[in-house]
Amino acid sequence: MNNITMNMKKAKIGIIGIGRMGMTHYSIINSHPGVEIKAVVETSSFISGFIKKYLTCVNSYLDYLNMFEKEQLDAVLICTPPTLHYPISCRAAKNGVHVFSEKPFTTDCKKAAELTQLFNKQNLVNQVGYVNRFNDVFRKVKQYLDSEVIGDIIRFKSEMYSRTITKSEEGKTWRDSRENGGGALYEVASHAIDLVNFLIGKPDKVTGSSLSSIYSKHVEDAVNATFLYKNGISGTLNVNWSDESYRKPTNKIELLGTKGKILADQHGIKIFLKKRDLVNNFHEGWNTLYITDLFKAVPFYVRGNEFTSQLYHFIDCIHNRTLKNVCTFHDATQTLEVIDEIFSDFELNGKLS
Amino acid sequence: MMQPVDKIIFGDNHFFGINHMSQEKAQQLAEKFFDISAIYAVYKTAIDSGIKAIMLNSNERAKDICKHFKDNKSKYPELNWYPSIPYPHKYANLISEKGIMATINEILFKNNTPIDAIGMVTKGGIGLIGKDAVKLMQMLIDVEVKMFKGLNIKVVFLQNIITDLMLGYNVRIIFEEYCNYIRKKHHATPGLITQNMPILKAKLEEWGIEGVVICSSFNKIGYLMSPDIDAYLEAAKKNDPTKYQLMAMSTLASGAIPAKEAYEFINSQNIQSVVFGASSKKHIEETASLIKI
Ligand SMILES: NC(=O)c1ccc[n+]([C@@H]2O[C@H](COP(=O)([O-])OP(=O)(O)OC[C@H]3O[C@@H](n4cnc5c(N)ncnc54)[C@H](O)[C@@H]3O)[C@@H](O)[C@H]2O)c1
Repeated sequence: MNNITMNMKKAKIGIIGIGRMGMTHYSIINSHPGVEIKAVVETSSFISGFIKKYLTCVNSYLDYLNMFEKEQLDAVLICTPPTLHYPISCRAAKNGVHVFSEKPFTTDCKKAAELTQLFNKQNLVNQVGYVNRFNDVFRKVKQYLDSEVIGDIIRFKSEMYSRTITKSEEGKTWRDSRENGGGALYEVASHAIDLVNFLIGKPDKVTGSSLSSIYSKHVEDAVNATFLYKNGISGTLNVNWSDESYRKPTNKIELLGTKGKILADQHGIKIFLKKRDLVNNFHEGWNTLYITDLFKAVPFYVRGNEFTSQLYHFIDCIHNRTLKNVCTFHDATQTLEVIDEIFSDFELNGKLS
Repeated sequence: MMQPVDKIIFGDNHFFGINHMSQEKAQQLAEKFFDISAIYAVYKTAIDSGIKAIMLNSNERAKDICKHFKDNKSKYPELNWYPSIPYPHKYANLISEKGIMATINEILFKNNTPIDAIGMVTKGGIGLIGKDAVKLMQMLIDVEVKMFKGLNIKVVFLQNIITDLMLGYNVRIIFEEYCNYIRKKHHATPGLITQNMPILKAKLEEWGIEGVVICSSFNKIGYLMSPDIDAYLEAAKKNDPTKYQLMAMSTLASGAIPAKEAYEFINSQNIQSVVFGASSKKHIEETASLIKI
């Protein structure tokens, strides 16, 4: 615990949507010494029944509007299905409440820009759950790129695979509908795109997009696209959430630069260099850094260091307003713009007549 | 006063393509053990080298493994079993495909019909369990433990993803009821796997829950040890093994620490048990000889 958190009043938090993500976030943020969870909102009577019975020190609501009327909160975590992220954020801003929203935070670029402006104008902390930006490996890769370990980037490949959808189910959940923010592009490719924006910057043009269904009836299960940059960089995106050869969701990035190459995934980093690098102590040829060389222990672990780091960052930004907030609405807007371009490129050019 | 657990326990991660350090290694392992007889061969080697205790997660393949050991009881010496439940990926994938309610329904009522569940169905199904997390948990435990019935179950562990999630909620009754149920219904010692050992142990003490085996990563580089290694050293030093038995896993930190160095460190700690995984006779024997706790 740092001094700032010790001397501060606890931040009063509300959590909206206690599904898969909300459950995890609750557990993590509840461990932060500078936090007091005051309220939760959940519409499912099955889940809210548990909350009322076992979490007796928090107020439980069915309707977020009600919560905002009754509670004096400093911040909310929005973990509902995506279509609700926007109206809830707007309502939060009205009360001057800081927001951590799960991705994609809206599915409409105009609304995204509007929210960014609104929160910045009111000087409210705003963050979106693109958790790769808090991953120990990818943070290190960013550091290497910034210090030009592999020189200027020429080409890259950003990939993400998982076995999330492996059966044809009648589309009953929000995941099987694009309007509701479902599908592999919003749900998983967004992370691989955000990683590109984080490491390299937002592409200037999207081309060669293809979306395929493998099991889902109404949405895509796999996404490919090519990203082009005015400075000559190009890269590809390859995502599939119906790939049963992966036991766990896996993000990979490969970057080729003028001085060498970086391959990275959750397990570690491999660096190939044409010449030795004395500053970082890398030799010519291949160098390997494992996660066991790179990790930084977190105060409380639930499902990966990055999930703890991202929420602790959000709370730390609330307690210390001089900290630079990362993974903001602005960043997420840029990710959303790329997603939008992939959809329209596919509509225009991706179909054989 | 709790019963001591086995000092050396043979784990299962290496059989199921789990490796924290490399995807490639994990894939190689998955391939090597695709044929289940390759898994039995390793168990045979381990048992011939003197291993008497086995930790096994309740995944799909574990069903066959349990059956094999039950069917061939006479071929093996007396073994102690340390199941860990549940298999988290099964739940995670089902929940993202179907939602939480449908998942619970499927797990409790499809293929598996525990006696209590039949009662539940006739009384109106899952809706009735509503709000009673303890009853629901008990039914899920029965489904997961079922495959181990008939083996000599010493400890039933809750996987870290569930333990640590619940720990964050800070709800005593869930831990209390888990431990009671494992003791009363399954006649075993309750175990909790965690990546936050010092925090969990302090909570259990605060809540007066004793007689629990706490299994956590324990290695000299502090890998998967939250909040930090110093808190682990302190908690282990102060531990009273008649109240909590500490079991170390990830002792080699996925291979980052050489075995000799890793176990010199472990041997100098107040730890009661080690769970390790290895596939070759040489590695199994070497590890078993290095552990001196
Ligand atoms: N960052 C990541 O790695 C990651 C992973 C999974 C999901 N997510 C994101 O998290 C969000 C939620 O996903 P999930 O997997 O938890 O979904 P989920 O369906 O499991 O959970 C959503 C919850 O919100 C509740 N809800 C629906 N309407 C509500 C309302 N009006 N008020 C309050 N609660 C309401 C639902 O009952 C449900 O419990 C999505 O935006 C998703 O993209 C992010």
